[in-house]
Parts: sequence; structure tokens; C-alpha cells
Amino acid sequence: MNRLHAEGLPERAIRDRARRGRAAVFPPDDSYGRAVIGADVTSTATVDPLDAARLVPPVFMPRRLEKLIDLAREPLFGDVDLRTRVGGFASALPVYVSAFGSTQVGTELALAAGRQAGRLGIPLVVGENVAPTLGYRADSSLLSRLEAYAAELPEGVGGVVVQQSTEDADAEVWNQVHSDPAAAPLLDSGRLGFELKLGQGAKPGLGGMTMVGEDDADRLSDRYDVSGLDPRGGPRLRSSSPGTFTEEILAQQIRFMRNNFPRVRVWVKLPPGRDVGHAARVAWSAGAHAVTVDGAEGGSGWAPSVFLDRVGLPLGECLRRIGAPDGCLLASGRMWEAGRAVVALALGARAVGLGRAALVAVDEDPEHGLVNLVGALELEARLLISALGKYSPDALGGEDVLLPGSAPATAAEPSTVP
Amino acid sequence: MNDPEHPSPIPPLGEHLTSRTTRDIMLVQQEVLAATRDHLRGQGFVELLPPLTGPVTDPGGRGAKQLDVDFYGHRYKLMTSAILYKQASLRGFPKLFYIAPNVRAEPLETASTGRHLFEFHQIDVEIAGATRDDAMRVAEGLLTHVVAHVLERVPELLSGLGRDPVFFKELLRGGFGSRTHADAVETLRGMGHGQDAGTEIDWEGEAMLSHKADRPFFVTDYPKGSRGFYDREDPENPGLLRNFDLLAHGGYGELVSGSERQADYAAIVTGIRESGENPAKYGWYLKEAREGIPESAGFGMGLQRVLRYLTGMDSLWQVTAYPKLPGVVSA
Repeated sequence: MNRLHAEGLPERAIRDRARRGRAAVFPPDDSYGRAVIGADVTSTATVDPLDAARLVPPVFMPRRLEKLIDLAREPLFGDVDLRTRVGGFASALPVYVSAFGSTQVGTELALAAGRQAGRLGIPLVVGENVAPTLGYRADSSLLSRLEAYAAELPEGVGGVVVQQSTEDADAEVWNQVHSDPAAAPLLDSGRLGFELKLGQGAKPGLGGMTMVGEDDADRLSDRYDVSGLDPRGGPRLRSSSPGTFTEEILAQQIRFMRNNFPRVRVWVKLPPGRDVGHAARVAWSAGAHAVTVDGAEGGSGWAPSVFLDRVGLPLGECLRRIGAPDGCLLASGRMWEAGRAVVALALGARAVGLGRAALVAVDEDPEHGLVNLVGALELEARLLISALGKYSPDALGGEDVLLPGSAPATAAEPSTVP
Repeated sequence: MNDPEHPSPIPPLGEHLTSRTTRDIMLVQQEVLAATRDHLRGQGFVELLPPLTGPVTDPGGRGAKQLDVDFYGHRYKLMTSAILYKQASLRGFPKLFYIAPNVRAEPLETASTGRHLFEFHQIDVEIAGATRDDAMRVAEGLLTHVVAHVLERVPELLSGLGRDPVFFKELLRGGFGSRTHADAVETLRGMGHGQDAGTEIDWEGEAMLSHKADRPFFVTDYPKGSRGFYDREDPENPGLLRNFDLLAHGGYGELVSGSERQADYAAIVTGIRESGENPAKYGWYLKEAREGIPESAGFGMGLQRVLRYLTGMDSLWQVTAYPKLPGVVSA
């Protein structure tokens, strides 16, 4: 029974910190590996302009007329062609599966997600730290994710993108994959990519974090910072450095990737930093095939609660700051249905990444969950894009979106009707 | 054991070691080694024996993978090159060389270039206080001396291997030419080869340039991002490196790679980051750099590449006694 009460203060949270100390900076331990941490789970502060945006079809549709002429009949939503190129790969849909980290929630379901992404013919990103923490050839490791994906991949579409962050470079993840015979079919068919990771949406400015047991903690302590959190014991926090970047360091790293791996597509993942537009332009001008921007919307990694609530730009603001992209722009963060996805495409993204939603889907149905989720998204996307009088994602533009606070469009759309 | 997907061009080891060709090439090799030692020692160089393992090694480029060694629970690397140790040795040995064994898990597609081995040797030279031009002159002098020595001492071996001494006539006249990377890129594009201006010249491009020449030539000023962090950036031309390759004529491509070295501590740390690595693992080297590594220039000359060039063999595996090709399982 507590005697003292503090009106106006979050007393429960303070008492939690008084009991658990540094451990209370993070979500409760017992949710680790089960909860898919993210803005919708814990954040109360994030307001993403994408959520309030509306898609606004016009009445007059010259693009529909073009399609009508092409088809010699009235077009329908089934006539929307969703095939596109995503970061140097042909993709069946403007969708890819984003990286899951090395947290348990990622590894248990990653193989199922990889297989289904392959079946769908969409690109798959394999997360950082998978090799260094889990071993290059262990079950559920990088290689088995890659093989699971490639086994179901149809000819001519898709691609695997392997992330490496600063601390993974010690484990030479890219060099390992690049010279592994198992990766040769993907490399030879131009379907291997490497993603340079500058940060992530869940905790911009910080590196990767996972909770590890005592045995793993000892094994990892020579390469990572591993520290106890709860004064009463329990799992420990493994932290990576996010790496130091300047304009020059980013440009040189991209050039180095292109020099060392000339047959590999180069992707760059940016955190939702305030200079995201500038960083994206630096990456494209140094030769990146894709820039991925991850909104401050959570992820499958382990993030301090304060970062989920207060740090980083929401995805919609990232897209606004990037403006008209100079290259292939990919967007991820709380994607699962086509409403948010089509708005992101209209605001400049070439494709959207499914992260936590893909994990939840394969958790629901390990055989078909992701295929079904993407099937629903695909149908919605066709409905929405055709309603806008357009028949490919590339045709979408800012005129298709009403953002909160923006004045209703007054300019007339071009029309042949007086 | 043979991997059906990567059939080995290498005969069984016993057959390879007892063939007349292998024997003749090894006799040429010992002349190359003797001439190298004689020439460099005559110029005041000291030969050291290089380390085989260390906490870090040359990060290299072009996607070659390093090999780990368990050093009593610590992860060490087999040397891909001992460049960092060469720099660290300069305060005690201002002019030094190694005949250094190196191991690189090169990308699988290099197994058929004829120009890559998993295990190979470099004649590794470093000179304190030297400029790039100094290092280029030493490389030119060394190659010319080695070729002249072999032609003089064992001409019958070369002719037995089918090599006409006329092939080296222009080389022996001296005066290797030099062109910049940008110029080489332009030439290649003019020949219809899509060379990327921001990367090293690819193997096909090197062979094309090499075929056009009648003697070895230097290519200088490679762009930043195409080489290791230890190559010094040109302060007068930011984005270009004070480095060089020496390419053989006749389609044999690169024999030597060298540069003026980066000796400034902050520039080294920044360079490590620019090549995507975590400086923490370069602990011992950065400590040396912080205390002051002498400015220097140097190079590595591929021993097997020089032998192939001398003997006219198709592939590097033919000029080594114990060949190992990338990804090909052999003895």
C-alpha cells in the first residue's frame, strides 16, 4: 500500500521505474519476442499526415480515356497493371517485405514470410544482425531465409536484399553472401541486392537493439555492447552502434558498394531524420538503386518507449520533405492495407514495405497468411487506383491526395470537355 | 572431391607437380624471387617476413571475403594483405619488402578469369617518405630487372614454354607510359565498353587496355571509393586518390597496385568509415596511427601474375605449385 500520491504526475510509471530502474525505459520484458513493437502499439504522440490523407478521384478522367482507347472497351479495376520496378528488380506488385530484425519475433516467422514473398514475386529484405547474432548457417539464419525465398520465386521477378549496418561489417555479411554458392543463382540473374542501413524508424539515431539471455550475452559481448537493465536480473540489452554518417561518408560507402559488388543492386535505408530529403538526394546521386525511408512508426526491433512516442518524423512528413524523388523511393512504416499504401505511392514512393504486418500475417497462417494479406491489398489497390482514373501506380501523383490542412484543389484537371 | 557445379580445370596434384611445364615454371619462379631480392636489397631495402594472421587485415575491395581464424577465443583474420603491418614497420624499417602469402576468398566468378587465386603471393614494398612517383619508379625498375634477369638466365625455359623473347622487347627499352583512370575510362567507352567512371577498371576493361599496349603502363588517380582507406586522397584533386596500377601489355592486366598512403590519423578514421567499417576493430593500427605512422608510398606486385606474364600461361593456377581457385575444391 503506497502512502504518497502525486497528483498530476504519472505515478504508476514513476513507481515502475523505481522498481525496475533502467529496464523500465523499455516496454515490459514479457512482451519481448511476442509483441510487434510499433507506433500503433505504444505511441500516443505520433500523428502521421498519411493517416488523415484522403484519396480524391476527379470526375473527368483523361487517363481513363487513354485506357479505353487502348482496350477498345471501358476499363475496370482489373485492368490496373501493378507490375513495377522496385530498386532495380522487376516486381509483381508495388510492395516488398521489409527487414525483420534479429529479435525472436522476427526469426521464428521470417522463413514463412520469405517463402510467401517468393511465391508473390515481390522483393524481400533480410535484416541486419541476422548473421552476426544468429550465425551465418544456423537455422533461420540469413542463408536459410535467402534459400526459402529463392525456392518459391518465379522466373524474372523479385530479388533479395541483404542489409548490413556498421557493426555487421565486422561479420562481412555482404562478402559472405556475395561469395556463397547458394546466392549465385540470385546474383547471376541480377536479383541480389545489398542494403546499407543508416538507421530505422523505431529508434532514429540509435543502432539495433535486442534482448539476449545470459549465454548469448557472453558470446556477443566481444562485438556488441551488452548490459543488464533490471537490477533484479533477467535478460540483457544488446546494442549496436548506428554508425557515423556525413554526406561524404554516405556517398563514399555507396560508391564502395558499387565498386565491390558491381552486379548487386544497392539500396540505402534511411531513418526518419529531419534531413531525410537531403540524405535521399545524396544517396541517389552516389548511385543508389533505391532509397528506403522508414517512418517513425515502430518495428520488430526493441526500442525504448520514449523513442516510439517522441522521436523521428512520421512517414507522411518524410515523403513531404523528400518531395519529387530523384530515383526509386521506397516507403515503410505501419503499411498493411492499400489506403495508406496508395497515398504513399501518390506522394512519390515506388513501392511500400510490409514489416510488422507481414509478421502478423504469417503468425496467423504460416502457409498462406502473407499471400492472403497481399492479395487483399492488391485488390484494394486496383480499386483505388482505377477510381482515380489511372491504371498503373506510376501514374499516381500529388493531385490524387488531399492532405490534412491543405486547401482543396481548385485548378481544373485537363479535359477535352469544355 | 569435385563439385559438379564448379568443375576443376586443375589436374590432380601429383600430376600437376610432376609435369614438365610446372617444373619449368617453378625454375622461372626461383629466378624471379632471386632477382627481386637482389634488386631490392641493392637499393637498400630490408626483407621482413610478413605476419600470417592478425585481428584485422586489409579490407580490400571487389567483394573478396576475409577468412577467420580462432586465435584462442579471439576472432583473427588470415592476411588478405599485410599493408597495415607494412605501414606500422616503417619507423624501424624505412625501406622494406615482403614476399607475402595472402588468402582471399574472391567472388566465385573470378575462378574463370585466369587472374585470380584463393592463395597467392605478393612482392610487397613500402618506402617511408616516398611519393607516388617514387613508388612507381621502384615498381618499374623492379619489373624491368626481373624480366631482364629471367631472359638472360633461363631463356631456354621461356622458349620451352612457348614464350618468344620479342614479347618483352619494348618493355626492355624502358619508359613505361602513364595515363589517368579518367582517360582509361574514356578510351574504354570509345571502344564500346561500358566502364563505370566511379569504380576500378573491370577485368574485361583491363584486358582490353592491356591488349592495346606494347609494354606495361601505369594507370593513376583512381576515384575515391574504389580502393582501401589507406590510399591517400589527392589534396589538390578531392575525390581522386594518389594511387596507381601497373598493367601489363598483351592482355595480362594488372600486375601491381600501389599508392601514397594516408598517414593522418583523423583522415584514416574517416576513411575507415567511408569504406563502411567500424573503426573499433582496427584498434592496434589506429593506436599506431595516433602516435604517428610515417608518410609513405608502396605497392604490391602479384608474384603469380608476373610469372604468368613471363611464361604466357593462360591461367594463374598453372604458375603455382599448389593451386587453389576461388570456390573450386582441390588439393
